[in-house]
Amino acid sequence: MIRPILVRRDRVVPATQAVAFVVGIAAALALGLILLWTSGHNPAEVYERMFDSAFVGTDSLARTLERATPLALTGLAVAVAGSMGLWNIGAEGQMMAGATVATGVAMTADGLPGPLLIAVMVVAGVAGGMVLMLGPALARSHLGVSEIITTLMLVYVAIRVVEWLETGPWKDPASHGFAVIEPVPEQASLPGLFGRANVGTLIALGLLIVFSLAVSRTAWGYELRLSGSSPNTARYAGISLSRKVLTALLLSGGIAGLAGAVQLTGSATRLESGLSNGYGFAGIIVAALALMRPSGVAVAAVVFGGVQVGGQSIQTLGVSSAISDILQAMILFGALVAAVFFNYRVRWTGPAGESLVDEPEEADMAAEGA
Amino acid sequence: MASSGADYAVWLRGIEKQFPGVIACAGADLRVRPGTIHALLGENGAGKTTMVNVLAGVYRPDAGEVWVNGQQHQFQSPADAIAAGVGMVYQEFRLVPTLTVAENIVLGAAPGLLRTAEIVERVAELSAAYGMAADPTRPVWQLSMGERQRVEILKSLWRNASVLVMDEPTAVLTPGEAAELGSTLRAMAEEGRSVIYISHKLDQVVAFCDEATVLRQGKTAATVDNLQDVDLTKLAEMMVGTSGGGNVDRPPPRDRGPEVLSLQNIGSLNDRGLPALIDINMTVHSGEIVGIVGVSGNGQKELAEVITGLRRPTQGRVALKEQDVTGASPGDRYRLGLAYVPEDRLGVGLAPKMSVVDNAVVRSYKSQRRGLMLVMDRCVEFCQILVERFGVRVGRLNDPIAGLSGGNLQRLLLGRELAEQPAVLVAAQPTRGLDVQGVAAIQSHLVEQRANGVGVLLISEDLDELQALSDVLLVMYEGRVVGEYPPDVTPRSILGSAMAGNPPT
Repeated sequence: MIRPILVRRDRVVPATQAVAFVVGIAAALALGLILLWTSGHNPAEVYERMFDSAFVGTDSLARTLERATPLALTGLAVAVAGSMGLWNIGAEGQMMAGATVATGVAMTADGLPGPLLIAVMVVAGVAGGMVLMLGPALARSHLGVSEIITTLMLVYVAIRVVEWLETGPWKDPASHGFAVIEPVPEQASLPGLFGRANVGTLIALGLLIVFSLAVSRTAWGYELRLSGSSPNTARYAGISLSRKVLTALLLSGGIAGLAGAVQLTGSATRLESGLSNGYGFAGIIVAALALMRPSGVAVAAVVFGGVQVGGQSIQTLGVSSAISDILQAMILFGALVAAVFFNYRVRWTGPAGESLVDEPEEADMAAEGA
Repeated sequence: MASSGADYAVWLRGIEKQFPGVIACAGADLRVRPGTIHALLGENGAGKTTMVNVLAGVYRPDAGEVWVNGQQHQFQSPADAIAAGVGMVYQEFRLVPTLTVAENIVLGAAPGLLRTAEIVERVAELSAAYGMAADPTRPVWQLSMGERQRVEILKSLWRNASVLVMDEPTAVLTPGEAAELGSTLRAMAEEGRSVIYISHKLDQVVAFCDEATVLRQGKTAATVDNLQDVDLTKLAEMMVGTSGGGNVDRPPPRDRGPEVLSLQNIGSLNDRGLPALIDINMTVHSGEIVGIVGVSGNGQKELAEVITGLRRPTQGRVALKEQDVTGASPGDRYRLGLAYVPEDRLGVGLAPKMSVVDNAVVRSYKSQRRGLMLVMDRCVEFCQILVERFGVRVGRLNDPIAGLSGGNLQRLLLGRELAEQPAVLVAAQPTRGLDVQGVAAIQSHLVEQRANGVGVLLISEDLDELQALSDVLLVMYEGRVVGEYPPDVTPRSILGSAMAGNPPT
């Protein structure tokens, strides 16, 4: 029987990445044809609307960037932890924690001038994200408790805390009985760029550049990558693994918290339990599309943001939101499958003579009688 | 001599298996008669695991024949091998901790309809028949290592295996459990089943087994039809044997320099928390090679780790250049002049998925900084110098090192460790698995370092290499140094006795 196996590529070439990406999305769109036909839509029209509304014209681009900004920040948060082989899947909650602390600061310091207040709120956002991450980070670095579970569980804690604040202590007295928190001060709004895009996009871009360089070009990033790729070798090189785990997770939480503050001062008007809007969870997909590399997050976030914007606008053509969601999911699925082929290629094996297990690790040899 | 496999329970004939950069088997034979317990011996990397994985259908051989119970097979998968009657008990157990003993045993081989009570009863009968106490209803996570091993054996018996392969079975057992295992295996053999027993513990091999095959460098080096006629010494000698290595000219004796490494009363535990090193005292002087002789698993790995700071000793003191480093980190020890070529190169010394450059600067990246940034040009330059000086054959420096052959990996690793002129080099199995050229290159580097005044601790299983290169040999057995010998005038038989735990007095 001839069957395909995946073989790790010796070398990752940008051109193959682009090709794989395009092929993956094209395959998803091709499958989407069936979906649209059977649900009685004109695929050409739907796809055209989808693309135009996300990428053609400044308004469309602005909408996509507005979506891509929180996705880029939460994606970066996940990727920073991912560079070391850690999974922060609680960016959703850290985002909320960041926005909560930033709101608290805005309430007490609402006399500050705009730029200063925004700066203070952003710092507060980072602190909030880090505080929520502190428990999972310490538990992971010192006790080996899986950060995957702890970060996820705290998402719900963070959202419930905001709900409690909404209905209790922070309930806006001027809200006529509605359970909402008062809006952030007028002067604490990030300046707009064009269309609906605001300066938050530039903050995200700046951070992406800083972290891309930090991970690929600094001694700190080298240690991070070495610790993630081969923990024993890192120990051998004199790197303290627990300290690296702690800093990587805290930074990850801090970036997600910053995403909350940027969202609060950017697109949102006030802290509410829906502020994080799934951006934190979507950040996991963004980071996975970027293969956990900060340098890839920008592209992945724009693609993801564009798919969301396009998916929304096709509903004006009568495509139901369910069909739209399925289509969006298929496109992201295609892109994720394509991402596998950035690192692997398919090889067909014949029945005879070829090994089932292709690469015998040295570990195999060393395991003999060890 | 039979010309077909009909007389044997297992006949692996002329097995060849090559992996990128490593020849694991080069025409090895293994013949196991029915109803016997057959020891498969050999140093690490000799091809034992590859041979049994061929038998278990995990690897397909490049050449050679596989016969089981008189029939030739071409296994496409482990399932084929199981169907042919081969049972495999790996060192790392393959059990589902949350399932019960009975569930684990029938997993994948359950009768169509799961009648739990009946299965439990049959499992209980099976374990009673072989004297293996195991409560079928208990979840596996509650069991001791010895009990889990029984479950693995029962799994094979449930599938009616006629050949049971056990890889290093007593490594996880207490002495009492090991003795029980011996009688279980004997009961199976008396029924006509065969057992292939891989172990380094020679005393157990002699106690448990009937016959033996010794592999060396992927070939069958010796077969023993009756283990009762062979003494431990002889067996130890056969295992380490000669590699044809040691082709480097013996360096002329020279005056020893000052003491650069010393261990005092070192004790340490292994990963399972059992004593691995007991009261070790040794010194290495500048400009000498101290060779550590011993069958693998007698504390060599732990010794290297304690010296390099990767394992904490439970007692004693480690000194580098007369400075106490017992509590120092691996990085601090490196900066004080301790270089280390670890046994598990890809797991401990190198990061396989990272680039050649990234791997070259594992030790020195901190000195390639300007401010916070790593200066990539300097890293690349540093890497290029290593590659040229040590003759590493590489493609692109930015490609992952996983694509390099074993010899080139080792050249890169050794080059990196020697780049900043250490005072002490700990080299664990530095030539294992390398081709002839690679062996010669690494050996001549070791000799060169000795001439440069480096104190070398050479841990190896190749007696030829040790005798050719070392200035003094220390024999390790069960965590102790049991003898110190001059390398050139000590007969093999004396070293063999010491390695088997009976140093001549």
